[in-house]
Amino acid sequence: MIDMVKQKIEALFKEKKIAGFLGLREQNGQVAPHLFMEGQALEGLCLGDRKIAGDARYPLNKILVTLARQYPEKTLGILARGCDERGLYGLFRLNQLDPDRVIPVGIACPGDLALACECKKPFPDALAAGEKIQAGESVKAGLETLAAMDTLDLDKRFSFWKNQFSKCVKCYGCRDICPMCFCKDCSLECEDLVSKGDLPVDIPVFHLTRAMHMADRCVDCGLCDEACPADIPLRLLYKKTAQIMDIEFGFTSGINKDERSPLSMMGPAPKKVAK
Amino acid sequence: MTLLSQVLDFCGVERERLRARWVSSAEAPEFVEEVNRFIDALKTLGPSPLKVKTAKMGVS
Repeated sequence: MIDMVKQKIEALFKEKKIAGFLGLREQNGQVAPHLFMEGQALEGLCLGDRKIAGDARYPLNKILVTLARQYPEKTLGILARGCDERGLYGLFRLNQLDPDRVIPVGIACPGDLALACECKKPFPDALAAGEKIQAGESVKAGLETLAAMDTLDLDKRFSFWKNQFSKCVKCYGCRDICPMCFCKDCSLECEDLVSKGDLPVDIPVFHLTRAMHMADRCVDCGLCDEACPADIPLRLLYKKTAQIMDIEFGFTSGINKDERSPLSMMGPAPKKVAK
Repeated sequence: MTLLSQVLDFCGVERERLRARWVSSAEAPEFVEEVNRFIDALKTLGPSPLKVKTAKMGVS
């Protein structure tokens, strides 16, 4: 798989289509994001698979946004899994990236990774290597958790989330890892809204603020869940907001390249389109 | 509103505790009536579960 990816990137460099390629590089046994420049060999390029597939995922989109702000005229290539590409679509929609200046080189995730991630679409549209597989069972598992929450009554749900939220150490890890968080001024750091140095955080306001901001952005990549040192099931919360967006407005973030968010439209709420 | 009330409900806060209505500054009686209705609704619901929690934490 990696040879196909390398060929694709080398071809892009040769055709002068990209000024650099943002990928992952293995060095001294560690995997980290790396910007490969033209003329450099793609030495150490890796796909984030160390012991098992996809065990070294990074929010490359986030780095791409930073690079694009610095070098708006350059076209860059980027290594993209299914979730990364959903993120790219979201960032195009939110005017954080120019679709003409980003060339994704897509890799499909193997079945076990897709299952572990509960991924809805474990392959990007711009597929360079790998096979399109559908992770059928994983979808069920995700919904089952939400369904399980729905069977609890209000008091139980309240104590569940109260316990979860009170574990928060306010490390901002979820925000910092999130490829869809790009605001220069974050509401969660506004001192009028969130007092500095106070723990526990304001329950449930702190987490629901983020959940509301993520409602039409979250691409369900699961990095926040992985990053949270307190193991708060953040993904479950954002899955819920995504579910509401789907049921109420028929909107799923990152599925279509030319999507528009119902939350940024004026006028009456768009009705769900029958699928 | 659609979204937030459902997210609150998901986290175990009654959605009746959230209400939004546009009232013009020229419609004082409308505003008073709305707030009174909201107060009645809140009295029926009783104290917020969040309030209980904050009080407990104050003690410990």
